[in-house]
Amino acid sequence: MLFQISYKSGKPIYLQLVDQVKAAAASGALRAGEALPSIRPLAEELRVNRNTVAKAYSELENLGIVETQPGRGCFLKSNNGALRKDARRKLLITEIDQALVQAHHLQVPRKELLELIQERLEALEEKRRVNKETKNEEA
Amino acid sequence: MNESTPAIQMENLCYSYGRAEAVNNFNLTVRPGRCYGLFGRNGAGKTTTMKCLLNLLRPKRGNVRVFGIDPAKQDVAAKKRLSYVPDQVAFYPWMTIRETFDYLASFRENWNQKTEKELLDRFRLDASQRTDALSKGQRTQVALIAAVCPETELLVLDEPTSGLDPIVRREFIETVIGAYQEGHPGSRTIFVSTHLISEFEGLIDEFTIMDAGRAVLTLESDHARERYQKIRARFSEPPPKLALEGALHVQTSGRELEIIANGAARSIEDHLRAQNPESLSTESLTLEEIFVATLKS
Repeated sequence: MLFQISYKSGKPIYLQLVDQVKAAAASGALRAGEALPSIRPLAEELRVNRNTVAKAYSELENLGIVETQPGRGCFLKSNNGALRKDARRKLLITEIDQALVQAHHLQVPRKELLELIQERLEALEEKRRVNKETKNEEA
Repeated sequence: MNESTPAIQMENLCYSYGRAEAVNNFNLTVRPGRCYGLFGRNGAGKTTTMKCLLNLLRPKRGNVRVFGIDPAKQDVAAKKRLSYVPDQVAFYPWMTIRETFDYLASFRENWNQKTEKELLDRFRLDASQRTDALSKGQRTQVALIAAVCPETELLVLDEPTSGLDPIVRREFIETVIGAYQEGHPGSRTIFVSTHLISEFEGLIDEFTIMDAGRAVLTLESDHARERYQKIRARFSEPPPKLALEGALHVQTSGRELEIIANGAARSIEDHLRAQNPESLSTESLTLEEIFVATLKS
């Protein structure tokens, strides 16, 4: 998978990597059993400290999203349910609250906001479906 | 030597050239395994600080320690632990690259020949070439290989990429990340002085901004980017004068407002939001922008 670092987001670099893996796993861009790039080439490519990449990977491992196979690399786990339900909810609530504050500030009414969420959800499902089909065709 | 001994420690370091003070009560601590940036304008005192660290200059006052060792008293013991890429690279002009490496390796307890070969290939250098025939970029590459191969715990880089072309600069940084950090990332410490801050942005864990011989700001990079934010707001009419606490810099242009916040971005945003802006956006400053904002304010 490809990563994109921004020094303007205010989010720690390792957390940006963590969040991008989570997003890739959620959208199907990264599938169970697929490998993350090795630490050294990824650090070189992004020109970030090796320790930053290592920290991101160990965080992902702690969250139960990936597993490290010694000598082979880091792989996306098959059961993404490894995150406990309340932990998952907590992660999501922060993001939702941010979006709600933003919606309030942009004066998007409740109804429109709910419709928008529905629409985005469908778009994501569509993306997952396409990704799955590509996978089946490959197989 | 325990884990907590800093790789570099400077306490109240002072140095002057005649009556001109170059470094004035300068303090800095670099923990092992970190990549530490020393930022400053030309003439801020970076190179003088580096030279005190390397025992090329004797501090007039204050202490310098490298892994707890005073380089002025135990020069060899301190030098064993570090390698150095200077801003002006010089080799014996009559030696080839091969002879230069053999010569330098003779002073070292360890020299990784595999890394040497890999990096010569990567930089497309011919080891049989005399060093006086090398370009500036190639000379820096040779110096970098010579600094990486001894696999020391501390790598000191003084303005390493200034004057080099973008490709060489990129390869230089990739090599520091890849080849140098490869062995024991946890115990490989990097101390780099530069004013090309954006190139090293991703590498640097912590930094000190130096001005007129003094440390003006020391922060962790992630924390710095969280703390320094640029807030932009646009209003339907030219905004009233707002008393914004924690604003480092405020600029108004017609109906638009740009604020550099230092740690108070949230409360400033709330303040602005109360004025019903047409748009409001916030982004972090990069380390280079923080550098400029700090030295201009």
